[in-house]
Amino acid sequence: MAKRILISDDALFMRTMLRSILEGSGYEVVDEAANGEEAVAKYDQHSPDLVMMDITMPVMDGISAVKAIKAKDPSCKIIMCTAMGQKEMVLDAIKSGAKDYIVKPFQAPRVLQSVEKLIGPA
Amino acid sequence: MKSEHINAFVVGGFRVLETLLGATPKRGEITALPHVFTSEQCNVTVGVTGDVQGLVIFGMSLMTADRIASKMIGTPIRTFDDLAASAIAEMCNMVSGHALTALSDAGIRCDITPPALIRGTNTKLSTLSIPAIVVPLQLNVGTMNITISLTDRVTARRPN
Repeated sequence: MAKRILISDDALFMRTMLRSILEGSGYEVVDEAANGEEAVAKYDQHSPDLVMMDITMPVMDGISAVKAIKAKDPSCKIIMCTAMGQKEMVLDAIKSGAKDYIVKPFQAPRVLQSVEKLIGPA
Repeated sequence: MKSEHINAFVVGGFRVLETLLGATPKRGEITALPHVFTSEQCNVTVGVTGDVQGLVIFGMSLMTADRIASKMIGTPIRTFDDLAASAIAEMCNMVSGHALTALSDAGIRCDITPPALIRGTNTKLSTLSIPAIVVPLQLNVGTMNITISLTDRVTARRPN
């Protein structure tokens, strides 16, 4: 059975590109969320193996969503995706429980390297 | 306007466009404007707040926007739909994010607003009376003009 991934990003383009990269390598994208609040709800619904989480999103940002998910499931695996390579935000995300981060714009091999490191091949 | 503010966005533009489009842009002739104005057909505005404040506009023709979106999506687009608009807005968000990182490394703390895409020509945006610098980035798919209108927060003038 393919490893299951939830994508959370407010940009339709990023969600579409991540889905294409992940499904192209055999992973199953269980759902998409356009903000942190949706991501928390959809994590509860699907219990995915991994979450790809944008940092800057409306309603609830990615760091708050990581904290909320981590509080419910301390073993969750989350990769932060950010257009802003600001050290403070990345450090905050890691402190909050994210396992890795990728900086946009990213190439498919960088995404897959990070995903495989955390949950293994599809 | 300080050169480090301008350079942050120009260098960010080079880095992001090289990665996304696979070609190195060329910088065109820089021009100055007394206020923010764009005559381009497709514009993405990003507000800047914090130690530096103002507005940055990424302007291009619809044809250039179509070509950039096609490259980013990986397939030619037939109509400029939500996915194409999201791609163009996200590209400008990435450039701005890289610019913020460069400014942060220089000890300048600021944040950006979510990008807003505006389609239509001869758009004058009235915010603060801050002069603007236009930096064209010439790409193999057309030209993108970055209009940068930023000032240090302490020197920002309030509108009448």
